[in-house]
Amino acid sequence: MNTKILLKYAEEALNKPILAEVIRKSSAEINILHAEINARKGEILVGVEGPPAEIEKIIKLFEKKGVEVEKLEHIVALDRDICTDCGACVSLCPTGALSITEDYSVKLDEDKCILCEVCVPACPVRAIKVKRP
Amino acid sequence: MQRIWLNDVEAYTGVAAVDAYIGATQLSETRGMDYGGSHVIEDLVRGKEVKIRATAYGTDCYPRKEIETTITINDINQAVLCNPRNAYQRYSAATNSRDETIYTYMGTLLPNYGNVTFSGAGVLSPLYKDPNYETIGVGTRIFLGGAQGYIAWEGTQHNPGKALGTIMVIGDLKEMNSRYLRGCIIDRYGTSLYVGLGIPIPILNERIARTAAVSEDQIKTQLLDYGVPRRDRPALRDVTYAELRSGKIEVKGKEVPVSPLSSFKVAREIAEKLKKWIEKGEFYLSSPVELLPRDTQFKPMKQVIGAPLVKDVMTKPAITAAPEDRITRAAKLLAERAFNHLPIVDKQGKLLGIVTSWDLAVALGTGKRKLSEIMTKKVVVASEDEPVDSAARKLEQHNISGLPVIDADRLVKGILTSEDISRLIGRRAR
Repeated sequence: MNTKILLKYAEEALNKPILAEVIRKSSAEINILHAEINARKGEILVGVEGPPAEIEKIIKLFEKKGVEVEKLEHIVALDRDICTDCGACVSLCPTGALSITEDYSVKLDEDKCILCEVCVPACPVRAIKVKRP
Repeated sequence: MQRIWLNDVEAYTGVAAVDAYIGATQLSETRGMDYGGSHVIEDLVRGKEVKIRATAYGTDCYPRKEIETTITINDINQAVLCNPRNAYQRYSAATNSRDETIYTYMGTLLPNYGNVTFSGAGVLSPLYKDPNYETIGVGTRIFLGGAQGYIAWEGTQHNPGKALGTIMVIGDLKEMNSRYLRGCIIDRYGTSLYVGLGIPIPILNERIARTAAVSEDQIKTQLLDYGVPRRDRPALRDVTYAELRSGKIEVKGKEVPVSPLSSFKVAREIAEKLKKWIEKGEFYLSSPVELLPRDTQFKPMKQVIGAPLVKDVMTKPAITAAPEDRITRAAKLLAERAFNHLPIVDKQGKLLGIVTSWDLAVALGTGKRKLSEIMTKKVVVASEDEPVDSAARKLEQHNISGLPVIDADRLVKGILTSEDISRLIGRRAR
């Protein structure tokens, strides 16, 4: 399972290699999806591979280092009531999170989504929504 | 009334005193591309309230000059859907050779052949199934937006000779269903209407049996490069709808993901529904009252003033420099010859980068010496056969004032600057 986690760094945590330390300690498979760091604070959105117990352990490690952690669930959604199953989105998706099934429906696999949001404005009926925290 | 807006989308009133025609691609005056005539049509079908604003010059017959009100589809006596161009027999598939994303009527096209899009229902495209127009003609009863409608005429740009036939359709909007009539937005292009449409094809003879049985691996189209901003876009390869439907095709030796732009799922649903209607005796097949033309041709618009190409306007030859040339020498050159854009080329004359007078001004006092240290490597370029309008759009979009003009081998053939374009406009005005 892939869990999306938002790491919020306070100013004093910015110059420490926390991500590296956590990876070394846990051998977690962490994929950085988005990062925004300025002089006052930093935010890194990561996708972590592993079972729920493993994820909790990794979250604890980050928290111990003074990083605020927010687990993000269901932040991307394909609204089935709006979607026409046209498929305009599928070739834009870099990870195959959007695909066409055997019965010609469009399917969104939240696990594979890296929140790049290329599909959001490209959907002709605006059926894909991303709620960022 | 002389002018009318429905939810701030203007409709055409030059039809008759209180009639209006709203176009699917007309944009909202307040919401731009997020809402258009197609969305007004969908909102009406959904029974939603629509805001009306109209103005008139006032006559003895109709003295009132202004009205503002709201209506639903039930408040108006008639609501007719009349689409002048529908159900393209097939259409070309699209991809993009440029190194930037482009936003086209074929959807978002990623850089460097990053994806392919195609349109049309392929094996369920009615006009492809009766390409001789034996059963499909004026008056043919059809499934239209969830109701029963009719073919009114050939569609605009009807081009059956190239298997690009279209039809004009008409039906009662009041009976339609938003499942089969949806407003849509093509990102940064505009709004349009998804129209659910189905045509029954009676198998009257062997020929119709044969054409109606065509499968998707027999329906060919061309993959066009929409990255080339010309009307005659180059074809990269032939491709069948079966290949397109598989979700991946090969372009330039690379496997590329493919998107359909219309719902095959809904197309199947419509075919199934139409079949049920016919079986239950709720829908009667009709023979056309008049056949559609099979020999019309589609020509581009005649232009009295030829659209100038980049090569007609550009400055040539362009003065260029080598990457190892000194910044000071370049500054002197620009000052003496009074120009602002210096393409940097290799020994063969191939474009490597660009340095502008602005870059030189910024470089002063930094201690940098060679042009290679300050040149911009990602250069926005034009080609000789590109229309000037397309090049002007690039200048505007990238907020720059000059484009090196290169050929297929990246050899610099000239330079197009905003001054060249100003001169052209000056000539036109005279």
